[in-house]
Amino acid sequence: MPAPSRWMIRSSLIYLLVGVLIGASLLLEKAYPIFPQLWVLLPVHIEILIFGFIIQFTLGTAYWILPRFLEGKPRGNPLAAKLIVGLLNSGIILNVMSFLNIVHKEGTLVGRSLEVASVILFVSLHWNRIASYRK
Amino acid sequence: MPRIARIFVKTGMLYFLAALLVGVALEIPFLNFPVLLPLFWHMLMVGWITQIIFGVSLWMFPGRVREEGFKAQKLGWLTYTFLNVGLVLRIVAEPVLSYSHATIWNILIFISASFQVVAAVTYVIEMWPRIQSKKQRRKNRRKQKRS
Repeated sequence: MPAPSRWMIRSSLIYLLVGVLIGASLLLEKAYPIFPQLWVLLPVHIEILIFGFIIQFTLGTAYWILPRFLEGKPRGNPLAAKLIVGLLNSGIILNVMSFLNIVHKEGTLVGRSLEVASVILFVSLHWNRIASYRK
Repeated sequence: MPRIARIFVKTGMLYFLAALLVGVALEIPFLNFPVLLPLFWHMLMVGWITQIIFGVSLWMFPGRVREEGFKAQKLGWLTYTFLNVGLVLRIVAEPVLSYSHATIWNILIFISASFQVVAAVTYVIEMWPRIQSKKQRRKNRRKQKRS
């Protein structure tokens, strides 16, 4: 398993734990309404589990498992793969900080743009790997 | 495909179908109870997508124990049990919580939340050491052969 996949999958597992803990706290808040302020964490719960866990896990696995090139670098430019990891995680963290009012609300625009940049890079890096080498 | 992966994927498919049926109910005015909306999303994202991810990764990631059975694949089976019992308890208890003040529903919600956290923890404990580079994998294989 290449390094960018390992980074993405390990990060996604950490996001899974954090996201599930937040989700469990919110569920408990429904049964025992003691801290209604907890509900500010709802967008964080969604961001962390959808982008941090589900999307990051699938991107990391796809980078590892899709057919490799027969010539040249087997998974394309490795720098682009590292950039995908950096952009996606910066986007997620910036969005979370914005949801928690640590940065300005407009931060989500930058956060989402970083995620879009990461996905554009992912698509361009993997487009030609979606192939069959059988004759 | 090992039994644990098959059971994860098949259960995931059942949740997928059930989630979409709840989605249809949400579009019918006399069935559109607001309490159904979080259930719809959690059946889809936890019951279907997360379950498929768990099942396929337990099967495809390196370092899988090929022996079948609960003892050999303890963490996988614990993940499956805690995740599904937790989710089913939520599906049962959450809608009732809005209409009933009986303590039992609060307790079921508490168990549901705890079980889902435990499922995530057991899954991470199983998967973390299996995220390996080729070099680490070879090293581990050599170690296993020696022992």
